[in-house]
Amino acid sequence: MTRAQIIATRLALLALVLGAWELLPRLGAINALLLPPLSQVLTTLVELLGRASVQEAVTVTALEVIVAFVIAVPLGALAGILIAENDYLSEIFKPMLFYVFSIPKSIFLPMFILVFGIGFQQKVAYAAFTTGFVVLMSATAAVESVKPDHILVARSYGATQAQILWRVYVPSMLPFLLETMRISMIFNFTGVMIAEMYASRTGIGHLIANWGENFQMPQLFAGVIVLSAVAIIFNEAVRALEARCSTWRT
Amino acid sequence: MQHLANVTELKARLEAPAIEVEGLSHVYAGPDGGVKALLDIRLAVGKGRFVVIVGPSGCGKTSLLMMLAGLLQPSQGTISCLGRPMPKPDPQRVGVIFQEASLFPWLTTLDNIEFPLSLRGMPREERRRRSAAMLGLVGLEGFGERYPHELSGGMKQRVSIARGLVQDPPLLLMDEPFAALDEQTRMTMGHELLRIWSTTEKTVVFITHSLTEAVYLADEVLVMSARPGRIIDHIQVTLPRPRSYEMMATEVFGQLRERIWQQIRRAP
Repeated sequence: MTRAQIIATRLALLALVLGAWELLPRLGAINALLLPPLSQVLTTLVELLGRASVQEAVTVTALEVIVAFVIAVPLGALAGILIAENDYLSEIFKPMLFYVFSIPKSIFLPMFILVFGIGFQQKVAYAAFTTGFVVLMSATAAVESVKPDHILVARSYGATQAQILWRVYVPSMLPFLLETMRISMIFNFTGVMIAEMYASRTGIGHLIANWGENFQMPQLFAGVIVLSAVAIIFNEAVRALEARCSTWRT
Repeated sequence: MQHLANVTELKARLEAPAIEVEGLSHVYAGPDGGVKALLDIRLAVGKGRFVVIVGPSGCGKTSLLMMLAGLLQPSQGTISCLGRPMPKPDPQRVGVIFQEASLFPWLTTLDNIEFPLSLRGMPREERRRRSAAMLGLVGLEGFGERYPHELSGGMKQRVSIARGLVQDPPLLLMDEPFAALDEQTRMTMGHELLRIWSTTEKTVVFITHSLTEAVYLADEVLVMSARPGRIIDHIQVTLPRPRSYEMMATEVFGQLRERIWQQIRRAP
């Protein structure tokens, strides 16, 4: 297929979906109360974005995502690297981590609420916890993926331990870690959302949960669109970073 | 076979050998007393000589090379390179080239070549000058900005050689550098290596499995037995230099090959 054909097909599919969203409720094929027509959702969306309360909610959510990420990634990476490098720590922690990793983290949320109450800290802590785990596991794998040959070469050229760390380990692990960051961001976002929807007084997730409970469907869908947009933006930002640093990967 | 070695060793000693190994044995730790890798190795390599070590798989030749490079310390015995021991790697004295090119995929060709220099903190301009010179020496002008994944196997090994030469060490150790290449590339690379070597006065210790490669490249061939590795023969290759492919078809060449093969087959 040519490039033009691919783009045309994509646009056609998009038009189909959007068209259906608009027409099916209007024609009564789907209950308009459950699925408001696209145009109604969009009008609501524009109106909502104009409201200060909504703008505040989006800001709060975005902030939580960023702060949780900034905490989780360095800590998780450091812990993962330490565990992979130190045989002693490795022996002790790795099996335990694998078990804990398989537990769905959302069940820990009530504990976070008990410790932090409801608010910014609770959500950030919970999201950081969820994300940190993912980063840790991947960092461990990243360290183990560094080729011993490369380390040997560096040693044979007289590299110090610090030089081996910065000149071999870090560049070797970088693409792996960046890929992890993208996935961690997704986990991070999910973590924030769960915390907001479960118990929160602020944030977009809270608004969505509220609208859902009050059966305000146009607002609900509008909120989902806003949320999706924010999630995609964050994701693409990390992806762009990853692409820039991975020019040498085949 | 030790008496054969003694004469040459004596001679090497009189001219202050580049490498001296005395009473070297090595045991790798493990259950049941561990693995005896090397047994009472004794050799001397004269300056400017191209010495090839041949032996069956697992005979300890790589371990021996690691010790000469300062990457491994022997359980017993002494090593002296250019008159001094090797407690740790000394890239300005001893350059090492490994089997897999092991170029860093995140660096360009030139950056890979100047890696040893950048570890020492040499300023950028000086580094570039030297690495560019090395690039020319191995015949890869114009490929400086390529990444390893854009290079063929033979080209990657050339870069590896350039990297090993960039600090101009008087002693060069090569561990089966052409093993991963196809036969034709191997022959070309061997010839190239001899060309590069002939422009320098370096001492080279080269490990290979290939009997043909050994005879073609070497001034002297050291034959090792199977594990635990001992030196069981020391052959002088008196073919004239520069070597040519035609020499491979001569009777002398064939006899030398045959002799090495007999030694390896016979050793218990």
